[in-house]
Amino acid sequence: MTDDLLTQRIFSMMAELSTVRAPDIRLEHRLREDLGLDSVCSMELLSMLAEEFELDVPMEEAAQVTTVAGTVAMAQRHLALKERAVS
Amino acid sequence: MNDAVVEPLLESIRAFARRHVRPLEIDQQHSIPREVLWGLAELGLFGATLPREWGGAGLSALQTIRVVTALAEVDRSVATTVGLHLGLGTRGLVAWGTRAQQERWLPPLASGEAIAAFATTEPNAGSDLSALQCLAQPAPDGTLQLFGTKLYVTNGGFASLLTVTASTPGMGGAERGTSLLLIDPKTPGVARQREERKLGLRGSSTTAFIFDQVAVPNDAVLGEPGQGASYLAHVLSWGRLLLSAGCVGTARAALDAALAHVHHRRQFHRALVQQEVVQRALARAGAIAYGMEALVRTAAAAEHDWDLLSRLTTSAKVFCSEGAFELADLSLQLHGGSGFIEDTGIALLMRDARVTRIFEGANDVLLTHAGVLELTQPAAVPTDASLSGLWSAVALRRNVLQCEAKGVRALNRRAAQHALGRAVIWRDAATAATSLARTPLERAAAALLCDEALNVAMAPDLPAVPTHLIVAALLEGVFP
Repeated sequence: MTDDLLTQRIFSMMAELSTVRAPDIRLEHRLREDLGLDSVCSMELLSMLAEEFELDVPMEEAAQVTTVAGTVAMAQRHLALKERAVS
Repeated sequence: MNDAVVEPLLESIRAFARRHVRPLEIDQQHSIPREVLWGLAELGLFGATLPREWGGAGLSALQTIRVVTALAEVDRSVATTVGLHLGLGTRGLVAWGTRAQQERWLPPLASGEAIAAFATTEPNAGSDLSALQCLAQPAPDGTLQLFGTKLYVTNGGFASLLTVTASTPGMGGAERGTSLLLIDPKTPGVARQREERKLGLRGSSTTAFIFDQVAVPNDAVLGEPGQGASYLAHVLSWGRLLLSAGCVGTARAALDAALAHVHHRRQFHRALVQQEVVQRALARAGAIAYGMEALVRTAAAAEHDWDLLSRLTTSAKVFCSEGAFELADLSLQLHGGSGFIEDTGIALLMRDARVTRIFEGANDVLLTHAGVLELTQPAAVPTDASLSGLWSAVALRRNVLQCEAKGVRALNRRAAQHALGRAVIWRDAATAATSLARTPLERAAAALLCDEALNVAMAPDLPAVPTHLIVAALLEGVFP
């Protein structure tokens, strides 16, 4: 999956939990202040992401993510780790 | 104000209640008589938590819970009216109000001349506050224009001040920000709806409000614009705390009534209290009532540690609302047929207690929330060695869930989180009871709670039968 496709997929998932539409989401947005996701909703988003891409993201790492860019970076990092483990 | 002042205040409340508060009449008339509200105001109860500078008594959370509990022992509608005013109604204004906002509102709120309410529930946003649709947007004249509907506003029928949660996109640099607004219900465009008819808490006013193009001046925004979500967490903590204190009062009233009855009621040639089954039920009820009180006191003691206050009031709200309802139900059961008759007042206790499992965060939502918190930010382990077994059992449950689900994916397992949340809540109650126990009886009650908490922590969370098949059959109308 390309970075662009991954980012678009993450935006779609965020739009499911937030009232902000996917085309209006930007990388610099903050999960709480700009997307209106409280701490539980933010963790739910990251868990959905981990489930969809079968990523093993530690709870402590997920708890540090506060922005859209951070979410994308976390997904990219763990997808790369997964690919490396497979190869 | 120290306890030497609170004790006489509690005595005054009890004396006033004995003479003037008639719970069955309040229930039948669906309102609290005006002279009762005036009497409460004369006692200074509407200013109990408000700063002395503005005419309040400046009571601490630990002192205030005793006031609300004392009121709830007599009548839950009265306790709810006062508790809502002191907690959800005025907490935001006390914590983040500007000097001008406080100067305008706090003196009449402290004297009881004005009553406060809090408006957040909407047709499509109950426990899920991220779904707020009430909208405040900048108008060309520099004010905000407020549109939307709020439901189930406690004290709504006579409130002079509403703290309203509204979505304020773009304000304060937050695209999806929420703000708290101070609204005078007499403002043009605010329409107060009729009183709701309810199962219980009938003396407590509950109305809806419709806001249609309400012009809200910018100085009516509470605190920083767009930061309402973080303020809300603290305001809700106070709401849950005082609700829990009310539950303690209900539990005491239910238990007192049960004890009076089982002493004189004889069946099978013995007083009910001499029956072993009754004794066991009463012992458990006493332990639960003690656990409720200990948990509320522990939460109130965390008044200045807002994260801990939020965590403990979540536990207290669930444990106390379930405990109060259970004790009211037990009291009714022990009363036999007479408990089912309204004149005894036991049915009223149960009807009044029922809604506390729903409002200020439905218990199932709070249980899941407590489970998520325990997964993401585990509570600090206490040093008391006698609690290590219980805390280890809850930690084991948390770790197994995390390992099975591989990290953050554990958060997709809602039923398991809910079960973990229940283990957390019982653990917190048993911990509070153990920490505060001083007498042999209190230690025995705490030990009983620890045993039950351990059972809750070790209970399986996966159903032994395929529940989804039963649900599918029910939905299709082919079962039973």
